[in-house]
Amino acid sequence: MKRIETSIDQVKNDIRNFYKPDLHHFMVINAVDLGEKIEIQWFFCDYAYPGEITAFCTQIQPETVIPSIRDIVESAWVAEAELVDLMNINIENTAKGFVLEPDFESGPLRKKK
Amino acid sequence: MGKQYEIPMGAQHVSLLEPLHFKFTTENEKIVDTTANVYYVHRGIEQACCSKFKFRQVSFVVGRVCGLCSISHSTAYSQVAEKLVKIEIPRRAKYLRMLVIELDRIHSHLLCLSHVAENSGFEALFMKTMQYREFSMEMLEAICGNRIQYDFSIVGGVSRDLKPQVGQMVLDRLKNFKPQLEELLDIYQNNWTLSLKNKGAGAITREDALRLNVVGPFARAAGLDIDVRNETEDLLPWKEVGFEIVTEKAGDVHARNIVRLNELFVSMRMIENIINGLPESDLITETKAFPDGEAVVRLEAPRGELFYYAKGNKTQILERLKIKAPTFSNVSAMVEAFKGNEYGSTPAIIASYDPCLSCTSR
Repeated sequence: MKRIETSIDQVKNDIRNFYKPDLHHFMVINAVDLGEKIEIQWFFCDYAYPGEITAFCTQIQPETVIPSIRDIVESAWVAEAELVDLMNINIENTAKGFVLEPDFESGPLRKKK
Repeated sequence: MGKQYEIPMGAQHVSLLEPLHFKFTTENEKIVDTTANVYYVHRGIEQACCSKFKFRQVSFVVGRVCGLCSISHSTAYSQVAEKLVKIEIPRRAKYLRMLVIELDRIHSHLLCLSHVAENSGFEALFMKTMQYREFSMEMLEAICGNRIQYDFSIVGGVSRDLKPQVGQMVLDRLKNFKPQLEELLDIYQNNWTLSLKNKGAGAITREDALRLNVVGPFARAAGLDIDVRNETEDLLPWKEVGFEIVTEKAGDVHARNIVRLNELFVSMRMIENIINGLPESDLITETKAFPDGEAVVRLEAPRGELFYYAKGNKTQILERLKIKAPTFSNVSAMVEAFKGNEYGSTPAIIASYDPCLSCTSR
């Protein structure tokens, strides 16, 4: 796995420069609760070089609003909606209630303080 | 523009096997827009794997993510855990994992095909497909002890060996299964009524499949030649046992049926090669190491790319486990592919997606 460390301000540009739909396969967005911060990881693999996985990684404060990448990767809305529900983070233009019912307690995958 | 109607389907519906909710906007019976909700079955499995269970126990927990592709989940997890504890599993264990994965693919694909037949109004074919599927269930029971939820892949290798007489029985039964599969291919390919229902229904193009990052038979039926078995030779030697990618071009329900059936011929050949060339070695690599660092693994489950991410912290409990199921990747395309189709075709189209919401919501 190739990790590309980036910042929340830069990540969308980085993905825009990297992602070519006919070359790259978008897999998923993951989040890891590190305690004070949350690490967000955008995973891609390469059609031309099988097995090569690239992850754009950035650490954020829990209240940070994350830019949506669905204007670059159209299918990313599913992964973004899942993160909003399961990790209780904010992603622009993404509502709660896709993976969990709207009245469910948000962020079941966050560490309990 | 005609009058538009919104028609909800699911979460419980006679033609939906999974707790999935669609809302179709229709105009003169044609679907013009669709929304989907998948929020009915979240079980907190990822959280349980990172809080209640030790990392060696997790392969048994993730085997319960899905009844149909249990072996794919436990194998993908075992592989990611083996990366974290830095071990290589014995060669015989790799072969046995492939054997069970391919038998599981037979049972999963035939289940999907039977439901496409049923939802296309062809109940006799549903019965026939389910009858022929029984072979794979019986073989899985003989090898793993269970018809589903196999608990076969464990961290370090596999939990059971293949007895020579069971291997021989699988080979013998495969000989009976081959003409049955040919009969099914003939019906699914050439039956006039089924063709009328399935050809052109729920179609996506190769460009759409690329744009929407579709995986599995859904993508391959649209001409996108992606299969994780082609890309993960380092984890399991797929090509060594005869893996070949199968694609179609039309991208519709009919093409998905044909891709699945033709993949079963490849699976049969691989099973024969695995049993005939089964290497002699231990079944498990022992280690006392604890998971450290992070790793990712991809595996071709019956529905497509299964993705596991795990992070360890040198303790028995994982820091994070992330599961991305194939259906999760296909949700966008599922919504897209309804557009322009008759509302009456939706049951067959949904069945052809082979959706698994247990995997998706975990």
